[in-house]
Amino acid sequence: MGTTVGGARNGCPQGVVVLILGIETATEQISVAIGGHEGVIGLFEVARGRRHVEMLMPGVEFLCQQTDIEITEIGCIAVDVGPGLFTGMRVGLAAAKALAQALHLPMVGISSLDLLAFPLRYSDRLIAAVIDARRGELFYALYLQVPGGVQRVSELRAARCEDLTADLVARGGEVVCVGDGALRYRDEILDEVRVEFAEQFLSHPSAAPLVTLAHAKALREDWVNPWELQPMYLRKPDAQINWAVRDGGSPAVSRP
Amino acid sequence: MTHTFRTSLLASELRERPVVGPDTVVLGIETSCDETAASLVMGGNDVLSSVVSSQIDLHAQYGGVVPEIASRAHLETLNPVIARAIVEAGIDESRIEAVAVTIGPGLIGALLVGVSAAKALSVAWNKPLVGVNHLEAHLYAAFIEDPSLELPLVVLLVSGGHTMLVEMVDHGRYRLLGQTVDDAAGEAFDKVARFLGLGYPGGPLIDHEATLGDPTAIRFPRAMLHDGLNFSFSGLKTSVVNHIRQHPDASTADVAASFQQAVVDVLVAKTVRAADQIGARGIVLGGGVSANSQLRTAFQQAGHDAGIRSFLPTMAMCTDNAAMIASAGWYRLRSDGPTSLSAPASPNLRLPLLGAG
Ligand SMILES: [Zn+2]
Repeated sequence: MGTTVGGARNGCPQGVVVLILGIETATEQISVAIGGHEGVIGLFEVARGRRHVEMLMPGVEFLCQQTDIEITEIGCIAVDVGPGLFTGMRVGLAAAKALAQALHLPMVGISSLDLLAFPLRYSDRLIAAVIDARRGELFYALYLQVPGGVQRVSELRAARCEDLTADLVARGGEVVCVGDGALRYRDEILDEVRVEFAEQFLSHPSAAPLVTLAHAKALREDWVNPWELQPMYLRKPDAQINWAVRDGGSPAVSRP
Repeated sequence: MTHTFRTSLLASELRERPVVGPDTVVLGIETSCDETAASLVMGGNDVLSSVVSSQIDLHAQYGGVVPEIASRAHLETLNPVIARAIVEAGIDESRIEAVAVTIGPGLIGALLVGVSAAKALSVAWNKPLVGVNHLEAHLYAAFIEDPSLELPLVVLLVSGGHTMLVEMVDHGRYRLLGQTVDDAAGEAFDKVARFLGLGYPGGPLIDHEATLGDPTAIRFPRAMLHDGLNFSFSGLKTSVVNHIRQHPDASTADVAASFQQAVVDVLVAKTVRAADQIGARGIVLGGGVSANSQLRTAFQQAGHDAGIRSFLPTMAMCTDNAAMIASAGWYRLRSDGPTSLSAPASPNLRLPLLGAG
């Protein structure tokens, strides 16, 4: 609670130049960016297909080639740590951690919901960042603008749409919703609360805010090594949820 | 200043095809099921290090591998496992010339962790990627421990997911001689162990229980024993269940021993027959079930009786490991060159067979 995303920037300390490679695969979109003190230098983004493992590293190579940056010039690996779709999310996390390990680089992990909220920081409404968690659930968190960024004013939650709308009704005030989960449940949300929806092109977390936010953290050396980076699942594996109610039937498979 | 938009090939596509020789070091990565493994192998069979982190304890309470739990554990364990493989090999990571990884068959979520990490290492180090078929890698496990094995060989590949007899005609050239028409042998072990209340994983538990029982106590059917080279285990599993329903007081040890004997008899008899049919130079055991002590003893004895060379890889090489991935990767890199960075993970990948297109 009360985590600030972004925050007032002090400008780049003299002589410190950190190039960040950002990797984001928490939703159906795959997004890769390179950036640093001059902002986002390059962005590769595909919102269709879910072919994360096929596209991610060719995307990184393509971006390096077009921006004329050698992978060895990168100084920090940033990654979206979720919440999101587990399988796709892990493709990005596994790649980011392996890149950091092989290149001996520190990492910055940022939540997908923070990435959704940050581009809306010029709004004075309550910001609801909402990702479609499938199977009737949403991942969401609420934010308010602060100088230079946004501040998270709720827990990161896995919940049903009615939990989100109840939360918004209880808080009152004007709301802007962003994310693929908000769009999917647009009608259900509008039935309960008067809200505005952010533009569709903002509805997936992007590696552009990722490198922007990571750069600020990297300058403060607020980073972790690949061993310490923890994904944010917000949901237990199915087997652990359902084990108690199953009888006889096993969710598991034999070892190949 | 002129600016040219380059649409040329990517770095990985421009890279020259590597020379693959006796001192080429390959890093192997395996995450297809419930073992997270990494290994450095030089020249295809000199194992410099082989690190395996097993998740068996995480899955035991569920009676099998839970895919989501496996995927999470792979992501958490892979980096330290790779780091340890490099340290234990005692060479600098700059000596690694290629990254080999299991691309299938296996659990999709689990495979993706390894494949994604391997691709990233390949880009970071600017070294070729080699996608490896997990089943083919099991065939190579024997060569790691005995490069003098002569072809053609008959390999009995038995695990929780597979039961097959493969003729290894040459490196990369295989012919399927027989396979299970229903359950895999390891699956039968798991199901019977669960039914007997022994727990999970079934193979080692039945193996242990069987040492206390009489393998001739109950005459379970040997399905399709004299009928071709295919296998069937679902009928045997049903017989075990029926026997216990009819004889609730039957000794668990006797049931386990008799069941195991029935499985082993069929596996061994068909392997020897297959070797005889194709004139093989030897018979080889592979896959997780080949850790079964009764199978190992019977396999060796049958080879001896038939006057044919039998080879049993060590337990560590029979079960899933990354040395076999690095080894198979070395051979594949030499014959086919690198794998594209846009290659998918293939959960249902099959063994590349002769005459199968
Ligand atoms: Zn295996």
